[in-house]
Amino acid sequence: MEPASGTASIEAVHLLTVGPFPRLLAEELTARLSREVGVPCRLLDEAAEIKPQILPERAQVHADDLLRQLEALPIEKGTKLVGVTLLDIAIPIFTFVFGRSRLGGPATLVSLARLKPEFYGMPADPAVTVRRGVAEILHEVGHNLELKHCRNYSCLMYFSHDVETVDLRGLSYCSSCAPLLPAGFLATGRRRF
Amino acid sequence: MTADESNAQQPALLIVDDEPIVQQSLADWFRSDGYDVDSAGSAKEALRKVAEGRYDIALVDIKMPGMDGLELQSRLAEVAPDLTIIMITAFASVDSAVKALKAGAYDYVTKPFDPDELSHLVRRAVEHRSLRSENIRLKESLEAIAGSPTIIGASPAMRRVLELVGAVSETDATVLIRGESGTGKELVARAVHNQSPRRYNPMVVVNCGALAEGVLESELFGHEKGAFTGAQYRHKGKFEMADGGTIFLDEIGAITKKVQVELLRVLEDKVVTRVGGQTPIPIDFRVIAATNQDLEAMVEADDFREDLFWRINVFTIEIPPLRERSGDIPLLAEHFLGQFCLAMNRRASTITPEAIEVLSAYSWPGNVRELENAIERAIVVGKECVVHSEDLPVRVSGGADREVPGSSLADIERTHIHNTLVGMGWNISKAAEALGVDRGTLYNKIKKYGLQRPPDGAG
Ligand SMILES: [Zn+2]
Ligand SMILES: [Zn+2]
Repeated sequence: MEPASGTASIEAVHLLTVGPFPRLLAEELTARLSREVGVPCRLLDEAAEIKPQILPERAQVHADDLLRQLEALPIEKGTKLVGVTLLDIAIPIFTFVFGRSRLGGPATLVSLARLKPEFYGMPADPAVTVRRGVAEILHEVGHNLELKHCRNYSCLMYFSHDVETVDLRGLSYCSSCAPLLPAGFLATGRRRF
Repeated sequence: MTADESNAQQPALLIVDDEPIVQQSLADWFRSDGYDVDSAGSAKEALRKVAEGRYDIALVDIKMPGMDGLELQSRLAEVAPDLTIIMITAFASVDSAVKALKAGAYDYVTKPFDPDELSHLVRRAVEHRSLRSENIRLKESLEAIAGSPTIIGASPAMRRVLELVGAVSETDATVLIRGESGTGKELVARAVHNQSPRRYNPMVVVNCGALAEGVLESELFGHEKGAFTGAQYRHKGKFEMADGGTIFLDEIGAITKKVQVELLRVLEDKVVTRVGGQTPIPIDFRVIAATNQDLEAMVEADDFREDLFWRINVFTIEIPPLRERSGDIPLLAEHFLGQFCLAMNRRASTITPEAIEVLSAYSWPGNVRELENAIERAIVVGKECVVHSEDLPVRVSGGADREVPGSSLADIERTHIHNTLVGMGWNISKAAEALGVDRGTLYNKIKKYGLQRPPDGAG
């Protein structure tokens, strides 16, 4: 089948954990993600060559440096690589970011550090963390699949700078964005109502 | 519509910073947030650009070699008095930022930027200039999704509900939606919101019953960083998120007296203060509340504040239980069947007349949600593309909905209380007397066992 738009195509999503990451959480994240997308999602073994760099004078990982390291890994054609981490990530000019990716790029980076309710002093809830993680992954992979930000606050591609907006967005691409995704990327068996 | 496709009306930003990395990152970031962005590496370049082009907002680094930000600010004020100037400063030089404010700068931000603060500040500056209200921008992209959600029903009872939705949605009145659980109260709330002038802003859903008290305060009103142990970052409350839109307070009867007091104050003043915060935040919201509880009885039992009750009980929409609109059952069943088949990638199937009869005869204590689940289950267990009566859950196909009394004490107590309540026509005082308990105790038992008074009060 022809992709719906441009040259973007996707056959698989591979998850790779970076830094300390409970196996169970990684599996849960992969399982939850595969319910949303129509292509196979697989959890890879850790990559020893990935070495997170700390931002000078800040107890945070340099997100753009880490993204470059992920992009440099051998990534199969048609596969999007998603680096997930519990480390707090940031870039020099911003105090934090939830995730990073390049338009049309082969890899994305998502941190769960500030998606966890505990970070805000709220009771721990792994289900909430996983749902937000999946939402951020779908947003960043959306950029990899050449989607830009969307003005619709209920769309996954809405630009969110806080976790409250991540929650408000939900888990769907809007009716303007969804058709721009490659055919087969969205799960067809998904309950959408 | 993506950011780049929007027309030339988007606000034009000029970023003035001598560090190329800051220039580049900020430009990329604002561009992806839908702004028209240009940058300058020095004050001189900034002056040239402003003389040649039109900018709405300039972000100016205070510390630059040569002419610094403060001097640039005063020059810009001469050549482009309309330009909104935001100063960029390091933590160490907040003093000069204050100087800049005195000289007419709109505000300042410190490096490294908190993305949320920066975005908020620039958006506020844009709104301040009333270049283009968020509403207008949203209208273009949201018209598509603002259609009515599916409320299925052709029965007179549901037609009445839809009429009420239509009538109240054009107003800004507070709405109280009442109905048993599973009747689709959120769907009705969404219909009200989506037909209201607020539809371009979010409807924020709060399930008051699902949250503990300490958390509910934070959820509703937000909290500041460090407000309590573990709060490493501020948290915005649901009211803040509902600014311009609607807040849907589901299961409003579940909130404690303490939160009721605070809620009432917020509803009256339309201002929230985050927990641990000082600054009151004005918020423009509409309230839709919902409950399956007997709020009048709760007021009587002193479990629900009377003043809050009257504040939310302005315009009531009563959703009838499914058993009172059994004529809608075939329609709903077909609707769910269609949706599930689509979602499960199955060929469209049908429901046998016999199965329709079974569905129509059942009393559906779990209402529309139970019907939805029964249809989903039938599609999963059914082998063909046809729903037969034997594919339906036993409790449905059994035809009867007799309460099967269990043998545990709790089961017996529940049945006894239920029967007494029905016998006393749900008069709480009389039933409490007959049971030999006080009203508060009875009320707690009713809550515990999820007993529900039929909406017509006929018992
Ligand atoms: Zn993005
Ligand atoms: Zn969208």
